Amino acid sequence: MSENSTRRQFIEGSCRVLGFVTIGGAAGLLTQRASANAVYQVDPFKCTSCDLCRTSCVLSLSAVKAVNDFEKCGYCMLCPAYMDVMSKPDERGIPTGKVCPQDALKRRVVGKVDTDDPNNNYYEYVVDEARCDGCGKCVKACMAPAGNASLRLEIRYSRCVECNECAIQIVCPDRAIVRVAAPGMAPAGPVR
Amino acid sequence: MRNGWNLESARTRYLCLLLLILAALASGMLSAQYQKKPPDFGGTYSFPTPTHPEPRAGWVRTLDVAMLVAGLGLGAWIILKRRSRDGTVLLSLGTIAYFGFYRKGCICPIGAIQNVTLSLVDSRYMISLGVIAFFFLPLVATLLFGRVFCGGVCPLGAVQDLVLLRPLKVPEKIDRVLGWVPYVYLGLAVWFAGWGLHLTLGTWQIQMGRRFLICEWDPFIGLFRVSGPFHMLAIGAAFILGGMFVGRPYCRWLCPYGGLLAILSRVSWKKVEITPGKETDCGLCAEACPFGAIKHLRAEQASCLACARCYMSCPQELERRGIPTGESALIQVQRP
Repeated sequence: MSENSTRRQFIEGSCRVLGFVTIGGAAGLLTQRASANAVYQVDPFKCTSCDLCRTSCVLSLSAVKAVNDFEKCGYCMLCPAYMDVMSKPDERGIPTGKVCPQDALKRRVVGKVDTDDPNNNYYEYVVDEARCDGCGKCVKACMAPAGNASLRLEIRYSRCVECNECAIQIVCPDRAIVRVAAPGMAPAGPVR
Repeated sequence: MRNGWNLESARTRYLCLLLLILAALASGMLSAQYQKKPPDFGGTYSFPTPTHPEPRAGWVRTLDVAMLVAGLGLGAWIILKRRSRDGTVLLSLGTIAYFGFYRKGCICPIGAIQNVTLSLVDSRYMISLGVIAFFFLPLVATLLFGRVFCGGVCPLGAVQDLVLLRPLKVPEKIDRVLGWVPYVYLGLAVWFAGWGLHLTLGTWQIQMGRRFLICEWDPFIGLFRVSGPFHMLAIGAAFILGGMFVGRPYCRWLCPYGGLLAILSRVSWKKVEITPGKETDCGLCAEACPFGAIKHLRAEQASCLACARCYMSCPQELERRGIPTGESALIQVQRP
């Protein structure tokens, strides 16, 4: 083996070792800052239900879903997020139109049932996630003063594919998509 | 004399206190009106627990990294040890299926450049361990085995490799000039991911926040997701059409991660060697290489994308494997 080639091998070898050390060091530094469970989530205090969650998610049916917080829900008969209060009323005066374009907000009567007057009954509202596309119309309608703001938009971790950069985050006008340590709702750190 | 509105006077202090108490009471009443407590339903109703799905389970997240490690290991074995083009094609199909269509092109090491940059610049940014692994593992693999990541593990490379029908030779000068574009793109991507663009030239202003350019202009993610904004799909279609006649245009002249790997591959431990020590100097391998990476009958590590096409064109390699090449072909290429 010629001297030239040994020298070349030595230089290559040293560069390789240098490369390993650099990579190891950088990876170590970043690992200290990393969180094993960092996920994207909607900050409910910033979100204005603008409809971009429906259109911008890379999934054909958005990973953002409306979620009902039952502790806050009023279980109202005349739910402004369920029925379109401006639509034509039927003979009993109950609006016939629904807010959800996908018919994803389902309700069932719960508790003691008054068969004579439906206005006396309580209804449990559940979002059908197979239908919900995250448009946020119900969330908007449930805002105070009409509703209790029990509905909110949430990125469902089980559906989110965790893009390098969340496609909704790019377009979100409220900067409401944040990186958080899952599971949890509290924003842990702003992204930008 | 000062008038009665003196904060120190006892009467004014008393008035202020009274006003405060009234305000507190009023706001309390108002908020009470809106914070309706859940009603007493009667009967046996109990609250359903609000469903908070768990994030992708730990093992599923680890599966991505495991698949990457497996892919890199398998790639190194197939390309450097088995020297098999068929194996490389199979690996490419697998990677398109898993990293492409199943994971929808994310997480990818090319885009991870930006996550890593952002994490280095802004310590508040929460980078995930998976992204770190995806960024650094192919770098390590390249130091060890050359660009095997490009060869069969990267879904973007795999797509272009499979559509390559009839590669045309690109003049060396053009190839060399275009070869600098990835580094320009890398610089731009790092700058935009870390700092964004804030420019003021007289009255002309540009204000752009941090952006992930590589993700926004990814050519094949639209294909993997079977949807996407128009510009992405158009670029993807252009790269696929162009890629039928020019070998892997994105990998060679645009991919910023490829630029990084090209640098590292120069000092890699194992290299793609066609038939060292017993070559026939026929130059068939250089003919077969769609990327112009074989110069002076040696694979140039920086531009070799480890596709294993050269092995299949080598009479010596085929003879070693006992694949009948046709006697005449060997006689023609062997020097007298």
